[in-house]
Amino acid sequence: MTPLPPEDRLLRLAAAGDRQAFDAFVAAMAPAVWRVLCRLTASESVAEDAMQETFLGAWRAAPTWRGEASARSWLFGLARRQAARTWRRRVGEPQTHDTLGELALAAGWGTDPETLAARSQDRAKLLVAVATLSDRDREVIVRCDLEGVAPVELAAELDIDPGTVRVRRHRARLKLLGALRAEVCDG
Amino acid sequence: MDERYVGGLWCHQVLEHLDTYVEGELSPALLAAVQDHVAECDACARFGAAYASLVAELSSQRAPDLRSDQLERLQHRLDLDT
Repeated sequence: MTPLPPEDRLLRLAAAGDRQAFDAFVAAMAPAVWRVLCRLTASESVAEDAMQETFLGAWRAAPTWRGEASARSWLFGLARRQAARTWRRRVGEPQTHDTLGELALAAGWGTDPETLAARSQDRAKLLVAVATLSDRDREVIVRCDLEGVAPVELAAELDIDPGTVRVRRHRARLKLLGALRAEVCDG
Repeated sequence: MDERYVGGLWCHQVLEHLDTYVEGELSPALLAAVQDHVAECDACARFGAAYASLVAELSSQRAPDLRSDQLERLQHRLDLDT
């Protein structure tokens, strides 16, 4: 039988009310949660608020954790939902495009993509463009492209097919190019 | 976008496979077809380069590390509210 990962053992103890175990869980997981939230919220101050709410929520919800998902996946799920709540307070859901072709046209397919390539090399502009994406699109860009999580791993976290993650990633990248292009067109 | 048929693929088919092409996950036969198309189709070559550039830039970004003062504020908040 495979031994439980350390964070799973700590969360199990925390679920039974062991506050010291929860503190150790926080210390172990906070850096990873922080990185994800920084990218999902595109703001350090918002990410810090969201991180505090995530761990407060984790302490309160720990007794409901049954271990079907790993402690890490469960906590990242809380962080994602917290980031989405934060995000929805700041902006509405951006508009969506339907087909891959429409997304690509919006992204400069067949026109002038060189300007986009240059724009994507500007870190600040790139992160602003990521921040304009919808929750779902931002999530796949953050986890797969920024965090380097393999589609198969994210698929397991979200309990969906790896092919679905790849399709979402492709569409999200096109939307990101579209957002960069919109900025180019806006000057 | 004026679609071209080159290397046995239409432009929209290259677009469909762009993600797996950039990730290096295409089957050898499809890879050869996409490479043939891109070698002849300037529009797909340029758009593919922009797409690949975006993916490379994203993978080179790094989130800031969690600072000790941020961790302390988190622990303080948990002490207060739990």
